[in-house]
Amino acid sequence: MNPNDIFGLAYDALVDRKVRTILTVLMVVLGASLVVVINGLSAGQSAFLQQQFSSLATNVITATSGQRSYYGGGSSQASLIINDIIVNKIKALPFVSDVVPQYTGSVTIDSYGNVQRISVTGMNPTKLTVQLPNLEFVDGSTLEPNDRSAAVVGDTIANPAGATTPFVTVGQTLKITYSYSDPAGKQEQEVRNFLVTAIMKPSGNTRIDNSLVINPDAANQLLRKSGRYDSLLVQTIDDSYVNTVQDEITSLYGKNIGTNTPQATLKVRQQATSGNAAFVEMIGIIALVVGAVGIVTTLYNSVTERIREIGTMKAIGAQNSSILALFLVEAALIGIMGATLGVTIGIISGYAMTGLSSQQGSGGPGFNISSFPPIFLPQDLIKVWFLSVLLAIGAGIFPAWKASKLSPMVALRRE
Amino acid sequence: MLNRDKSGPKRNSAKVVNESQVNDVSSNSIALAVKNLSKIYDSVAGKVVALQDINFTVKKGEFVSIVGPSGSGKSTLLNMIGALDRPTSGQVYINGIDIFSLKDSEIATMRNNLIGFIFQSFNLINRTTVLKNVKLPSVISGMSTSEANMRAMKILEALGIADKATQKPVNLSGGQQQRVAIARSLVNNPAIVLADEPTGNLDTKTGEDVFDMLKTLSHKFKRTIIMVTHNPELSESTDRSILIRDGRIEQDVIN
Ligand SMILES: Nc1ncnc2c1ncn2[C@@H]1O[C@H](COP(=O)(O)OP(=O)(O)OP(=O)(O)O)[C@@H](O)[C@H]1O
Ligand SMILES: [Mg+2]
Repeated sequence: MNPNDIFGLAYDALVDRKVRTILTVLMVVLGASLVVVINGLSAGQSAFLQQQFSSLATNVITATSGQRSYYGGGSSQASLIINDIIVNKIKALPFVSDVVPQYTGSVTIDSYGNVQRISVTGMNPTKLTVQLPNLEFVDGSTLEPNDRSAAVVGDTIANPAGATTPFVTVGQTLKITYSYSDPAGKQEQEVRNFLVTAIMKPSGNTRIDNSLVINPDAANQLLRKSGRYDSLLVQTIDDSYVNTVQDEITSLYGKNIGTNTPQATLKVRQQATSGNAAFVEMIGIIALVVGAVGIVTTLYNSVTERIREIGTMKAIGAQNSSILALFLVEAALIGIMGATLGVTIGIISGYAMTGLSSQQGSGGPGFNISSFPPIFLPQDLIKVWFLSVLLAIGAGIFPAWKASKLSPMVALRRE
Repeated sequence: MLNRDKSGPKRNSAKVVNESQVNDVSSNSIALAVKNLSKIYDSVAGKVVALQDINFTVKKGEFVSIVGPSGSGKSTLLNMIGALDRPTSGQVYINGIDIFSLKDSEIATMRNNLIGFIFQSFNLINRTTVLKNVKLPSVISGMSTSEANMRAMKILEALGIADKATQKPVNLSGGQQQRVAIARSLVNNPAIVLADEPTGNLDTKTGEDVFDMLKTLSHKFKRTIIMVTHNPELSESTDRSILIRDGRIEQDVIN
């Protein structure tokens, strides 16, 4: 039998059982599209992380007291108080070129009655470039390191996503409110007005874009820190000394000071991302296998229903190999349709999901898997396509073999 | 309905064929030779001897009917001749070829080239057209689409159903469907055409029409046909009637 003819017969048989064929194809579509979406989203996220960290200087170590608490705050039970003594000690270490102490706290800011809850950093604003060497500011900005009421605003705070008018502009006053509970447990508030002297251009790093920088002395007072820093940016003269300095700090303070580098953070986050992606991709592959089981069932039913037809074909001279090929081609066609549709739908829904979540997006720094544009690598798509088609053909082997082994005598069975 | 147990050739004009006249298996005039053919079925209920030491030959162009009571082994015999099943012992020669000496795949090719099957229940593929059904044996043989189409159309024209070529078999009457099946059995120009109760699913009038068509094939186109039937009248109108009883040939008469 000519391959063309086998293809034609297989196609006719699938068209004849439209509904069942469509349902089986859908099972493959589900698995393939799931795997494509997961691959695309996690590649997108990985690229996003890469880009986030690429704007950060590679010769900077972040040092925090003990196990760092993410939002800082004066009430944390730090095992070591990081004060100016420690700052000077670290500054004196070999290969350290600068140490920038930081206070951080969670505050609400008020601009003409519009309120945002954000994280504020108290540090010398001229040292922002220690961490972000390429940071730029909008026109009209001036950095006033000694002005205790000057504020530098990140791009996302100044220009919130989706808003038509900026939240603040240079020269405007911002009211900052810090809420805390006093030792007796009573809720207290500290309120101060600041003048926006500078607004950052998009830095490439979401956390910086979402930050507000004020004078360290002002922060010390506002956030009631009593001179206890939350973290230090330790700049080494060259990124090749990062490990040496890290070891040095650890040998001085042990576990009382935790050190971290952008590279290490990136690595951890990417591992977490790819771990998640591997898990969800597993689900996609399970869906594909379920689809394959569906193909086995569909084709097996088809063999049972077409037993007389198969018998007749053999009675009039069809070879076992032709019958085998016929059913394998049916499986392959289901696989090809399912894989092609699945990959297409996977790409479309990948974009649709990120489009949707950025519409509702808080714009916050949360690492939600679907908040970054997906990246669909051709080699990934091809891999998924072939995997789907091969699984489908694999699923067809048993029913096809069964059909090929039928005796031509079954053509004579009475109904 | 036909009464199966009363089937069998009438004896009045009967004349017993002399075996020795047609003994040469590879003679050019012999389409089919059956030699010492036996078939024993091994089923859970025990052994069933369906055929026992069957010997006969069929000349080219002969129209032979096989009759006998139900369960006598007629279908078993036809299935062996058609190489659908292997015998327990004995040989079947078609055009001088000992078909059971061949491998299964070669037997499939033999079925495709040398044998045309007509089934009681037509066995057409209903989802596809009459033309595609008729050309299926040619397609299986690997013939080009254009030649397969041409051949199939020629036969459909000869059988007077060319106008039905693009229809689906389900939309045709039983008689028309059996004609399509006859067309399919002829498309590869086989050495013998085998028909197991081809009129069994048809009413008397339509059955006679289909039978007349087989007769025309035999007389006008010199086809070799072996037909199992329960209808004694039809059997008498063939060239020769073989009566089977309990797996043996009881009578072999020229009509
Ligand atoms: N596959 C089989 N397994 C076991 N026994 C079988 C099988 N096929 C046929 N037989 C037995 O062989 C004998 C001959 O059967 P066969 O079908 O050839 O008879 P038949 O003459 O065609 O009957 P009918 O006129 O009813 O079609 C019967 O006893 C039948 O039960
Ligand atoms: Mg029978």
